[in-house]
Amino acid sequence: MPDPVVVLEAVTKRYAGHTAVRGLSLAVAPGSVCGLLGPNGAGKTTTMRMIMNIIAPDEGVVRLFGERWDSRNLSARIGYLPEERGLYKKMKVLEVLVFLAETKGIARRTAKQRAAEWLERMGLAEWSLKKVDDLSKGMQQKVQFIATVLHDPNLLILDEPFSGLDPVNSQIMKDTVLELARQGATVLFSTHIMEQAEKLCDSVCIIAHGETVVDGPLAEVKRRHGGHHVIVAVERGSQAVDQVWADRSLVAKAHNYGQYAEVELADGADPQRLLTTILEAGARISRFEVTEATLNQVFIDLVGPDAARPAARGEA
Amino acid sequence: MQRTWVVIRREFLAKVRNKWFLIATLLGPALMGLAMFLPAYLLTKSTGVRNVTVVDASSDQVGRRIAEALDGAPLITAHYLQTTLAAAGDLADSLAAEVGLKSINGFLLVTDQTVTDGQVEYRGSNVSSQMDMASLQRYVEEAVLTERLERVGVDPRLVADARLRVDLRTINIRGGKTTEQSGQAAFFLAYVMWFVLYIALVVYGQLVAGAVVEEKSSRIIEVLASSLRPFQLLAGKVIGVGAVGLFQLVIWAVMAKILIDQQAFFLDLFGIQIPGGRAFGLPGVPLAMVGVLLLYFVLGFFLYATMFAAVGAMSSSEADVRQAQQPVLMLIVIPALLAFGALNDPDGPIALTLTLVPFSSPIAMPIRWSVSAVPLGELAASVGLLLVTTLGVTWVAARIYRVGILMYGKRPGLRELARWVGTR
Repeated sequence: MPDPVVVLEAVTKRYAGHTAVRGLSLAVAPGSVCGLLGPNGAGKTTTMRMIMNIIAPDEGVVRLFGERWDSRNLSARIGYLPEERGLYKKMKVLEVLVFLAETKGIARRTAKQRAAEWLERMGLAEWSLKKVDDLSKGMQQKVQFIATVLHDPNLLILDEPFSGLDPVNSQIMKDTVLELARQGATVLFSTHIMEQAEKLCDSVCIIAHGETVVDGPLAEVKRRHGGHHVIVAVERGSQAVDQVWADRSLVAKAHNYGQYAEVELADGADPQRLLTTILEAGARISRFEVTEATLNQVFIDLVGPDAARPAARGEA
Repeated sequence: MQRTWVVIRREFLAKVRNKWFLIATLLGPALMGLAMFLPAYLLTKSTGVRNVTVVDASSDQVGRRIAEALDGAPLITAHYLQTTLAAAGDLADSLAAEVGLKSINGFLLVTDQTVTDGQVEYRGSNVSSQMDMASLQRYVEEAVLTERLERVGVDPRLVADARLRVDLRTINIRGGKTTEQSGQAAFFLAYVMWFVLYIALVVYGQLVAGAVVEEKSSRIIEVLASSLRPFQLLAGKVIGVGAVGLFQLVIWAVMAKILIDQQAFFLDLFGIQIPGGRAFGLPGVPLAMVGVLLLYFVLGFFLYATMFAAVGAMSSSEADVRQAQQPVLMLIVIPALLAFGALNDPDGPIALTLTLVPFSSPIAMPIRWSVSAVPLGELAASVGLLLVTTLGVTWVAARIYRVGILMYGKRPGLRELARWVGTR
């Protein structure tokens, strides 16, 4: 593997009363899209802030592009979208974009030209001379995104990039991120929505309570932790299948979502035998699909039902 | 440096383009003009020509001399009316009616006692005007005095000579050298400087706090913090707002100069007449004075602005700032009031202390400098102390700022702040 763009080595960050990140290690390969996944309060934002050197880790080392420390010297190569979005409300859209690009060391003229191009691309050209305040929330998010990518960074650090976006704008941004990745940019983004991660990521790092639970290429993570999965949908009123799910020689785990159930087969169990057993139980099947685990399933299995609890405890 | 410059320019333009800057910049000179011309205007109003009748019930027509003296005074016309003591009562009633009709402002009742005991009575509609009464008193007094002296046989020419008024001219001596400055001009200059420094520190200091908390409450701070060092941000804010302050002061200085140079034109414009034609003279400001003023403005501004920036960084909203900035405001207001008081004894121990203590010297020293010769040793000590304190305060403020800009919620207490200063 070529030298990773982002490296975290045993990074720890403590706050008064709790440890936000504990001994976290991570490596993001150049040109890959990596998802930093975890429930709320897992330490995603703290990790990203440490990567951006907005807060300093108490222990451990962060390396970007193989260099230690100050990401601000490298800020022309990094696009950072923080979880807390914000722009100068009283400034004109174009001016904000030019200013933010200038703080990254881009020349004024270049910044102006690129901002105009990006506004055009995002369908905001006619808004460029309006005040930020006059824009809708969705439009402001797009402007914020433009500010993140305007200086043509090699590395994108995106904290919850798609939260609060409608499906159309969400799709536009996903497409843009993938486009930038195709052009060679490395992307590290955080989310707690697994469907998004599944669509975008080459590799994932799942964290909980500030610690790595699992990381690696997406397919490998799913293979290693997913087992054999079958999606089964039965017609309503077929309570009979419940006893099939309880058969431990056949089924390791079953999650009934209502409309369908996701079933993890027991070791060595044959999907064909499951099908026969369900039919014999008298249920009418409307869907039967042998599949790999969804990332969502892997996530819930690994992080567990107590994932949403804050990381404060366990310190005593 | 390049990036700090970007922050400075944004801050400067954002503030200067704000409509409040325009309003304040225009309103400043308007208030200044009002302060200059209003007293002059009111003066003309109150000393507008007064119509006074002198009712003489004396036996030797002493009232005629008084009427002549009053008539000769500027802005007063006096009529003489002879009567007897017996008829004076009825005459007074009919004159009172005249006053009611506003055909005269009032009347003076002169009797024999006026010269012997100094008894004289004025009845009129303008008795509440101190200015009117003072000038009335003066002219009546002069007339009576002349009358008395002549009665004891003093030559009237001697009396006229004796009445020549004394004009006290005050001239400021600095460092053993007589200056061109009059005492009044020196005081005026000191007052203007006190006002400018005080306003600059209070207003622009609060602007810094507002600018910092605005970035926090709009949440743009994290984007900024990812590409700029906290110290670059802090320096950009403080210098940017400071530049706005200087810019506004320069505009005001230019406008003030125009107002003063062209005051005849403006006075004419409002139909105001002033004896001598000038209400104010521009005091000559020596170059060293400008230097001292600028030096202390810059150091004082950094001292307080960095504190205000720290206040902004530890707050989460405008309302938070208003509360948290109270101690810093007190730190300006109290020394400023004391410094103004020290004008009376510019070389005394109080003035010396105020010009050495770093939190009062930014205001006290330029004021003291303007009215007395400050020994160079004291100046050096004062600047040295202020410089060291400013650097120290900036260091502490920068550390508070660095942690505070990413903290939301409850404002920290003193212990929490100390921890912020101590964090790596």
